[in-house]
Amino acid sequence: MPIHEKSLIRPENLRVHDKLVLDGIDVSGHWSTFVEPRVVTDYNERLQEEIAALPGGEHIHRCWQCGSCTNSCTVNAVNPDFNPRYWIYLIRMGMESELLRDKEIIWQCVSCNKCTYACPRDVFPEGVMKATAHWLELEGHTPQSKSSMFDAEFTEQVVATGKIEEGRIIRGFFKRSGQPLMQPWLIEMAKRLARHLPLKMGFLMGIAAVVRPRTRGWGRAKAALEDYIAGQERAQKSALGLGAPVAPAKGAVHAAPGAER
Amino acid sequence: MTQPVLIVGGGPAGLAAVAALASVGQESVLVDKEARLGGAPILSGYAKLVPSGEWAKDAIGGMVSGVERDPKVRRRLGCTVTAFDGEPGAFRATLSDGSAVDASAAILCTGFTHFDSINKPEWGFGAFPDVVTTTQVEQMISSGRGIACPSDGRKPERVAILLCVGSRDRQIGREWCSKICCTVSCNIAMEIREALPDCHVYIYYMDIRTYGLYETNYYWKSQEEFKVKYIKARIAEVTSDGHRLIVKGEDTLVKRPITIPFDMVVHAIGMDPNVDNRTLSSVFGVALQPQGFIGRANAYTTLGETSRPGVFVAGAATGPETIDDSIAQARAAAFAAYALAQRARAPAHAA
Repeated sequence: MPIHEKSLIRPENLRVHDKLVLDGIDVSGHWSTFVEPRVVTDYNERLQEEIAALPGGEHIHRCWQCGSCTNSCTVNAVNPDFNPRYWIYLIRMGMESELLRDKEIIWQCVSCNKCTYACPRDVFPEGVMKATAHWLELEGHTPQSKSSMFDAEFTEQVVATGKIEEGRIIRGFFKRSGQPLMQPWLIEMAKRLARHLPLKMGFLMGIAAVVRPRTRGWGRAKAALEDYIAGQERAQKSALGLGAPVAPAKGAVHAAPGAER
Repeated sequence: MTQPVLIVGGGPAGLAAVAALASVGQESVLVDKEARLGGAPILSGYAKLVPSGEWAKDAIGGMVSGVERDPKVRRRLGCTVTAFDGEPGAFRATLSDGSAVDASAAILCTGFTHFDSINKPEWGFGAFPDVVTTTQVEQMISSGRGIACPSDGRKPERVAILLCVGSRDRQIGREWCSKICCTVSCNIAMEIREALPDCHVYIYYMDIRTYGLYETNYYWKSQEEFKVKYIKARIAEVTSDGHRLIVKGEDTLVKRPITIPFDMVVHAIGMDPNVDNRTLSSVFGVALQPQGFIGRANAYTTLGETSRPGVFVAGAATGPETIDDSIAQARAAAFAAYALAQRARAPAHAA
């Protein structure tokens, strides 16, 4: 009998025996392929709560597996293994080991949000993908992505000064991500800037690169932002059981369970 | 002499209510905005009804002719109620033709409005003539023309029925299950298979809600006897290759993308609140539920009470409802209205 939906069976679970006789019946060869059962040995019953505690994952509990996210997905059209509906199922059931098998593709979501506008229950699958990628990083399953390195550099500068300075961000990002600063496209851009930028703007850019201007009266805003971000990070780590458990910080958005409409 | 009971809406519920009142000698006035009685089953041309299998024109048509013959029923067709004043036992309704009707009570049997599939453009209705609604398929059957693709009249070889069109969908603000479409779709699928035995019928579902005994008589029967195929998938889009319709989605149970040609795609459209519900709410002073259907004051003691004493409600006006349950609710509401009419008469009689 042919094996239906062979694509659902992992190659290592397909067993073909060169020579095997069972109860006097020859079952050798490809025509009598055996399938090793896939056994679920444990559930991580907290997995759904962990994802829900991260920004974007709040509404994962609404999913009823219709598949609208997957079939509207930009990435799925290119790579059928990119399947948000399936991952949401794994997370809700707590099948962590299955989820981790796909850790190298989950982050590939391009945030086009087609799923957001297809989902009949407002699960916000794009947010769930973001939360799951974040979870993989926090749990140390995947290295920090370049985009989160960029986000970190950007955020730190805003928090520090209330402003961003592009040259500084590029330098900081390249440093974090281990990229050389002297990249051909960047050198070319600097040359052309030097040639074409009005003198006054070039002068201002130069000053900004050296003195690092700050928004006036930034101190209080900075303190509030730092407090908020630290609270968010504490609450997220606490939800994931990382670090010392602490009470959710005041104002931590995700600490209030997503209001079910 | 009691005042008549005002019945608004002449569909299955309204017809059942006036018939029930007439059976105990209570007069009623039946108002309908359409020029013809029968409501959705007649005006939209339904074919065979669930669960009896009787033709709508016989079953509901029979109720209409019974009411038309009944001397206890005054019919005011092509009319709406524009004002409704007074109190239980002594209401006065003003109709759109300027006339007034005194009534002891009122029963709103104002039903629902079919969901307009144009509000889910990704599923091709309005763009491709061979994308139709369950109502249109009912009309194909009830008119005797048979199942045919509207574009060129050919007999379809493959039909897809998409469930939950206009139901259970936050994207379009319709969070309710319309209750009847699963069973209606099973019924239609069997009728298509019966009429066109070589036609393959696929039903794309999120859940199958053929509740109660419909499970055996519709869901199982359609699978076991009529070989209708059920696929757990919500379709992403319906497009066309110029000749046939192309249905795209994910078969979620086998985790595999679907891109399949069909000759005809049927939307199993849900039940919206009647488009006139806001007007009805303001004219009759009755509260609506958050979803827009008319609210019921309580679920158990008197099934059909609204937020306004003396104004009752029955059938799909209160939410998606089957024809037989609408009729049962209408008879319950008629009983409550009759009791009110009798109580209203008592003091005058004693005086």
